[in-house]
Amino acid sequence: MKEISYTKITGFKWYSLSIAALLLLVALLPFSTGQYYLQVFTVAFYYVILASSWNLLAGYTGQFSLAHHAFAAIGGYTSALLVTNFGLPIWLGILAAPLSSALMGFILGMLCLRMRAIYLAIATWAFAESVRITISMTYEITRGDLGLAVPKLFVGKGQGVAYYYLFLGLAAVTVLMIMFIIRSKMGYYLRAIRNDEMVARVMGINTTRWKILAFMLSSGIAGIAGAFYGHYNGLLTPVMIDFNEMAFIVIMVVIGGIRSIAGPLIGAILIELLTETFREFGEIRMVVFALAVIAIARLYNEGAMGTIRQFTQWISRRKQAREGVN
Amino acid sequence: MVTIDSTLLSQYIISGVVIGLIYSLMAMGITFIYGIMRIINWSMGEFYMIGGYLQYIIITHLLGVEDWYLGVLLSMVGVFLLGMVVQGLLIKPMFQGSVERRTEYATIVTISLGVLFTNVAVIGAGPFIYSPPGYYHGTRIITLPVSGTRFVAFIGTIVLLSLFYLFLKKTWWGRAFQGAAQNRMGIQTAGIDVFRLDQIAFGIGVALAAAAGALLAPEFYLHPRCGSIATMKGFEIIVIGGLGSIPGVLCAGLLLGLIESLGAVFLNPSFRDVYGFLFLLAILAIRPTGLFEERERVA
Repeated sequence: MKEISYTKITGFKWYSLSIAALLLLVALLPFSTGQYYLQVFTVAFYYVILASSWNLLAGYTGQFSLAHHAFAAIGGYTSALLVTNFGLPIWLGILAAPLSSALMGFILGMLCLRMRAIYLAIATWAFAESVRITISMTYEITRGDLGLAVPKLFVGKGQGVAYYYLFLGLAAVTVLMIMFIIRSKMGYYLRAIRNDEMVARVMGINTTRWKILAFMLSSGIAGIAGAFYGHYNGLLTPVMIDFNEMAFIVIMVVIGGIRSIAGPLIGAILIELLTETFREFGEIRMVVFALAVIAIARLYNEGAMGTIRQFTQWISRRKQAREGVN
Repeated sequence: MVTIDSTLLSQYIISGVVIGLIYSLMAMGITFIYGIMRIINWSMGEFYMIGGYLQYIIITHLLGVEDWYLGVLLSMVGVFLLGMVVQGLLIKPMFQGSVERRTEYATIVTISLGVLFTNVAVIGAGPFIYSPPGYYHGTRIITLPVSGTRFVAFIGTIVLLSLFYLFLKKTWWGRAFQGAAQNRMGIQTAGIDVFRLDQIAFGIGVALAAAAGALLAPEFYLHPRCGSIATMKGFEIIVIGGLGSIPGVLCAGLLLGLIESLGAVFLNPSFRDVYGFLFLLAILAIRPTGLFEERERVA
């Protein structure tokens, strides 16, 4: 018992210290880097939101949605279309985005989540492709493959920095929220469902309801992220729903470490930075990422975050052993 | 509204049946792998793509177009071997105790495999669209004039599916596969090497996808992501038909083809690839386990 509480406390200290240091570094970044990397980090934070919310669903709940990118696009298009066609203020459009994504998630979840987990994966896969085709085909409304011009949220000189802090704040709120959920009662329900759905049901958890809730929540978060992304990027195209985009999210989560709070965060920033830094290598990057994911899944399940965790545990064990000798 | 006479209607129905049956080839591969190993292979579309590219290389560089059927066979064999290797390296370990969560592992690994193959194809073949020459001159099926390729794909699918059916029902291996689909533990106690069975099943499943890719290459063209639509249809078919059910695949494939074909005529041709998904949602709402329920055994 003593040992467990000991590692827990050091773990907590280490966590809070490193997070504080990291936050300071990240908050000061706009003053030390150029426009280009500012944009790279802004996009990286967008992926942090997507990867973390997908991790909540796939990692913690065990429900693989393969339409997370499509939900982001639905949010983006909802907000953009409301703003351009009905003259709504941008903030109202962004508020509507998670509602439409979560509604879609609710309908899909109601239909698929009563059955085995694999149904959700298959149905969301087909859903994503259908959304992509629908958006390309309804070009009178969405301008199809030409792309929809979206009014920007911030304009003018300081917009790069403004977007940076906006997406930083969104990513921080998302990660904190998911951390809170995982440590709440709901988090225990979700993990119980992942571990053994039958047992969870026997224990009196309404598994279908919690699965639908988790699915709606993560889809809604993706919708908000997509809406902000649209108003940041100024252009939405169906390319956003290419399956590569979903694979990218999976790669980020697995390389960072599935089923950990910090994993998707590290993974998203790392992968986005690597992608931008090694731009001249083209497709080779994706080949390397895919091989890395296969290696991690095959040999060592916990990704970068698991390695860090094991390392700190090793240090604390060494420290403990030394203190024990003294 | 289009005016419809009986000839036109029969043409729509036949074209739906043709395309539906061709889709079934892909779905059969997915459902066969699922039936034996209880995993979904998400890189099916990439094996379809590889089959198409192999066929292109074989008929343009090694054999002539007139030997296209040999090309189809050779690309099936090539993808079968590739599938065996992939299964041995990546899927097999998940049954040997080292992997904690099988579905999650299989999903992640096969998705990454798809990304890997797609990008290797982009590096190797460039972002170009290839189109092998058609296999056969245009002809007609009863009342419907069809392109030679589609006719060949239709006949080829019938032949392959019949052979597959005979293989399952009549051969020792086929019976072993049926046994494995029913009860993995049971078949092991009967002295069958279930790992070997898995490997061959994976090879056959992806070879069916490759056959679809090779047969349809002149019709739908070749590019690194050409398998995605066929995979989508395949997934829709297996959910509509009921996961793991072979008659379900055939029925759902034909139904999907008909719905697409009739939807394109009576509603809007732009959305023909979306009707299947709507049909899938309707089936999930009415009969969640699909048309042919394969009862899940919870041990």
